[in-house]
Amino acid sequence: MPPADTSLAANAPSGAEGARRAPLPSPTAAPPPTPDPPLLLFEQVSKWYGTVLALNQVTLELTGGITGLVGANGAGKSTLLRMANGQLKPTLGRVTIRGLDAWDWRARRRVGYCPDLDAFYEDLSGRQFVWTLARLCGYTRAEATERTERVLERVGMRERANRTLRGYSKGMRQRIKLAQALLHDPELLILDEPLSGIDPIGRQELLELFQQLASQGKCLLISSHELEALEKLTNHVAIMARGRIAAVGTLRQIRDLLEDYPLSVRIDVDQPRELARAVLALAEVQAVSLASGDTPGLVVQARHPKRFFQAFGRLVVEQHVEVHRVEPLDESAHAILGYLLGGSGRT
Amino acid sequence: MTSLIELTAVTRTFGAFVALADITLSLPPGRIGLLGPNGAGKSTLLKLLMGLLTPTSGTGRVLDEQLGGDRDSAGNWRLRRLIGFMPEADALVPGLTGVEYVSLAGELYGLPRREAQRRAHEVLSYLELEEARYRRVEEYSAGMKQRVKLAQAVVHDPPVLLLDEPTSGLDPAGRDAMLRLIKALAIDHGKSVLLSTHLLADVEAVCERVVILAGGRVRGQGTVRELCARRQNRYRIRVQGELDRFRQELTAAGATVLSDDGHGEWRLAVPSGWANLTFFQLAHTTGALIRALIPDDETLEELFLRTVGV
Amino acid sequence: MTNQPPNTDTMPAQTDTLLRYRPWRGTPHGPLFATLAMARVSLRLLLRRRLMWGLFALGLLVFFFFFYAQYLMVWIETQLRTETVRFAGVPVTIDNLTRFLKRLALDGSVHTFGNFIWFQGYVLVIALALAGSVLVGNDFYYGSLPFYLAKPIGRWHYILGKCLAIGGLMTLLVTFPAILLWIEAGLLYDWKSYYFDNFDLLVGIVGYSLVLLVTLSLLVVATAVWLRRTVPLVLVWMGVFVYPQLLSTLLVDGLNFPDEWRLIDLWNNLYLCGLWCLQADPATIRPPGQPEFWQAGLVVAGVCAASLLYLRRRVQAVEIVT
Repeated sequence: MPPADTSLAANAPSGAEGARRAPLPSPTAAPPPTPDPPLLLFEQVSKWYGTVLALNQVTLELTGGITGLVGANGAGKSTLLRMANGQLKPTLGRVTIRGLDAWDWRARRRVGYCPDLDAFYEDLSGRQFVWTLARLCGYTRAEATERTERVLERVGMRERANRTLRGYSKGMRQRIKLAQALLHDPELLILDEPLSGIDPIGRQELLELFQQLASQGKCLLISSHELEALEKLTNHVAIMARGRIAAVGTLRQIRDLLEDYPLSVRIDVDQPRELARAVLALAEVQAVSLASGDTPGLVVQARHPKRFFQAFGRLVVEQHVEVHRVEPLDESAHAILGYLLGGSGRT
Repeated sequence: MTSLIELTAVTRTFGAFVALADITLSLPPGRIGLLGPNGAGKSTLLKLLMGLLTPTSGTGRVLDEQLGGDRDSAGNWRLRRLIGFMPEADALVPGLTGVEYVSLAGELYGLPRREAQRRAHEVLSYLELEEARYRRVEEYSAGMKQRVKLAQAVVHDPPVLLLDEPTSGLDPAGRDAMLRLIKALAIDHGKSVLLSTHLLADVEAVCERVVILAGGRVRGQGTVRELCARRQNRYRIRVQGELDRFRQELTAAGATVLSDDGHGEWRLAVPSGWANLTFFQLAHTTGALIRALIPDDETLEELFLRTVGV
Repeated sequence: MTNQPPNTDTMPAQTDTLLRYRPWRGTPHGPLFATLAMARVSLRLLLRRRLMWGLFALGLLVFFFFFYAQYLMVWIETQLRTETVRFAGVPVTIDNLTRFLKRLALDGSVHTFGNFIWFQGYVLVIALALAGSVLVGNDFYYGSLPFYLAKPIGRWHYILGKCLAIGGLMTLLVTFPAILLWIEAGLLYDWKSYYFDNFDLLVGIVGYSLVLLVTLSLLVVATAVWLRRTVPLVLVWMGVFVYPQLLSTLLVDGLNFPDEWRLIDLWNNLYLCGLWCLQADPATIRPPGQPEFWQAGLVVAGVCAASLLYLRRRVQAVEIVT
């Protein structure tokens, strides 16, 4: 599991202090036994395109599991993913895969990349395309064929891979891209928008596939706009905004750090006004409003969520309240993103 | 109140391939979601509704216009004027500014030139593109491109909007903005919206009714509330703290834990006559903390997967 | 767990209260009106391109050359009758000066306009290749077709709109200047008799332009629908105009093949059709050895029909929803 580690860089005065810095070895003392270097490490990486600043002092560390990368368009997600891939070199800072620079060919061997744009030779069949890429990886013909079959089986395209790519639906194209990323059994899989344009059934299948890959020990970094699907997959997200990592960690931890925004909780009861009086007496509660909608209830704004739920639990037990629903309204990735980005909603 | 769309036993075949088989739909005006896996016939249905294809058999009607007339007839023009279509594809004309693009759309719908220009300015202001309307459309961001496509669908004030994946390629903020605008057009200005999309969350946010297509047939139609089963004795619970003891006590009290994701999110089935107070009492005694308790009704996604037969 | 859809109920509708959406009520026009709008906007789109301005400048150059040369032809004879012109001390006779101009037949007769349109054709052909890729190729490449065909217009209205835009371009480059040359010729010679005697020349000019317009606009739209990008379009266009011309000159003038081989040159066929409109005498056509007018007309009609059939197959409205 990824480290339970959180940081909110938006308030740091000198930019993103980041999740963790690699310890500098002291020159004279004996070096401590070094643990395995992290799978993916960004160290204070900045990247300029001319005068346009794409990434601004990004620090990120991944050791395993599934991490979601979310943010608005233009926040720098694609740049970050292409740097992890070794396609771009940082202007400042270092990107390393298990201690090696990311553009080193030995590092690239550990990384599989599933891009968001299709760049296929439309006249090839899926099988031929994957086989060609296997040969480009350096495998012999026999090994390439074997790997192609194995990888196509993995993504569920074995029967359908003989048609030309021109006729493929979006879901099939995504699977072919995923297949070519898995050819060389990478430790780190980088996926840029893997779920866009796929119907719900295909999405379910792909999510299961990602979970299988993660359980086999691979590390996945998935960038997506579909926050609901990401939340089903993983708890650990990195939020990007304006070229910086705004927050890294589990959703709950990030939410707890957003102290300016009290938690909104919807509570459905038969007698909302009576409960409202009791709830207002709790110290953590900042505001109570009566909920709109068909079922009667309250919407409570509370600070210090943990203490609030403890106090609320006690209140329910003492006063024998029959509660039909307790639902936090803004703990989702969607709400957190909204708060972090200022919530104006304009693109 | 005339129904929005009436289709009676509509079939459409392409040679030996049956794209739509025996579709019977009766949809009142309002916000309707059109769902279905790839290859279910959604695009064929949309083309039929716009008069670009004629049914091989069966009859249909959109508001007052019959389907199935000659493709280039006046009836067909009237049908297409009733509908504002927002395509999924890029569908922009590079080189034109936003205003020119939308006013061209207006003129193509038959508005006189000055009217079309005036409407273009108004519609672009309404859709929050006022500052960008004199810029060329190829320079727009993804969110702006989608909104300008919506603008060209609305410029002639049609009673029906057909939207094909309106939030594709948008980040979460852009998606919220687009859905808000669509809902405002539907509720505040009385337009009927037929939303064809793969994102079930969009349908949940905007639509009252859904139509589920699979394999060329209608597998379900109705309001979301009617179709999604109410499971009276199922709950989803999120707990922190002493999970094992709490779980033991729950099972002893008669509840069954159906699934456990390892992080304290459980789905439970409770016996009839269960009081939710029991949850809190047991939590209090065992030292667990309940952070959420939600009745586990069927979500749209579960409905979809059940209906489509997976 | 809480996979909530975005909560659009509580979001403020920011601009709605101030800039309310207003309904529109009125009688809409028919699809032909849409065709005119499309032609107008397409032409405007075309004239925004800098390359098009360059080509227009070139066309203007050709026009000015003919314009002043026609003027020169009239005056040079009278000038040189009274004075002698010397160039580096060597006296130059009238014939030396006018030999080139006489070959262009700049005397307000049939061949003036025929030759002008022939030369302007070089500029026109390049302009058409650009127009094709901008107007039609871009529609297919950037997927603008759903935008047009979801409107209450048919695919023939779409094609007509594009053809009209290209026709507008051709009018600006060819018809307008040719008519100006006709007016100038009349002013230079005795205008009363010129305009009345040669009124059929004006009709012929318009006829020639129409032949060009119909054939070339259909051909360029069909080719652009086939090859969406500029470079392949230019290559094929050269293949249709430049190479056959070289080939036919080689075959008929050089290797003495029968005259019918000139029919492979489409521009020559159009030239012959135009000369028929202008009612030129076949014996005066140069280079000598040309096929019959009706043969050229047949080839041109065939090209138009082929273009129309291809467009009928390729522009399918059903492609707009994927």
